[in-house]
Amino acid sequence: MVATEYFIALSAIIFMIGAVGVLTRRSAIMIFLSVELMLNAANLALVAFALQWAEAGMITALSGQTAVLIIMAIAAAEVAIGLAILVAIFRYRHSSEVDNLSEVRL
Amino acid sequence: MVTFIFLATVMIIGAIGVVTLRQPVHAALSLVGTIIILAVIYVTLQAHFLAAAQVIVYAGAIMVLFLFVIMLLNVEGEGQADKFRWLRPAVYVTAAVAAAALVVTAFMNPRPLPAAEVVDAALSGGGAAQIGEVLFERFVLAFQLVAVLLLTSIVGVVSLVQRKVERADIAASHSKETGRE
Repeated sequence: MVATEYFIALSAIIFMIGAVGVLTRRSAIMIFLSVELMLNAANLALVAFALQWAEAGMITALSGQTAVLIIMAIAAAEVAIGLAILVAIFRYRHSSEVDNLSEVRL
Repeated sequence: MVTFIFLATVMIIGAIGVVTLRQPVHAALSLVGTIIILAVIYVTLQAHFLAAAQVIVYAGAIMVLFLFVIMLLNVEGEGQADKFRWLRPAVYVTAAVAAAALVVTAFMNPRPLPAAEVVDAALSGGGAAQIGEVLFERFVLAFQLVAVLLLTSIVGVVSLVQRKVERADIAASHSKETGRE
């Protein structure tokens, strides 16, 4: 089995790539995609730690994986609402550039 | 280890694709690839139920929703230059420094992994029965709250995209009342 540090390193790299995407992209949908990437990186870190903590018994070890399950549900809810907001904005503005989004009145 | 290096390389390439590709559909498909590779990594980490849930929920529902919205809104690709020229290099440098710091910190205190039998006894491959046991024993409150959260998000989505539709009979009676006043 691969040591946990490698998974944490991979999770950190993916998280930073997602952060670059959030800061660099201009379209709101691309920013959402980058946020999903960051969430997945965090999930990877949790699952890697769940393996590391196997000595502490089943409930403690599997708490990491259960937390990932809950995070997946939260991510689904967040994506639904975020895309609904985007659709509502796009109806009135006909573009999804976030540079001009400072006065949004829905 | 070879498996991990291969999966990690493909995942990093997919992540860079998400962040770099110009067309939204290409970026979304790159994210789908990244998510599926992550599901394979979950399998190597003894998290089989999570791997299935990742493919079903993330790749099968969330990314499909993304693609629906991208195609519905006909989102265009990005073409313009940034407002501030120093933005992109600054972001790249900051992200590279932060990632390097995290990687170095991760490798500073290496701990040995537990033996394979201990891992199997504790995780049992992360099967659905074991995750269900933990979910309903320690995470019951979180489970209920997530259910309420999903309901809230459904109500929010419906209320956000609904247009106001005047029903003919209500409009008629309303105008009759205001005409009488």
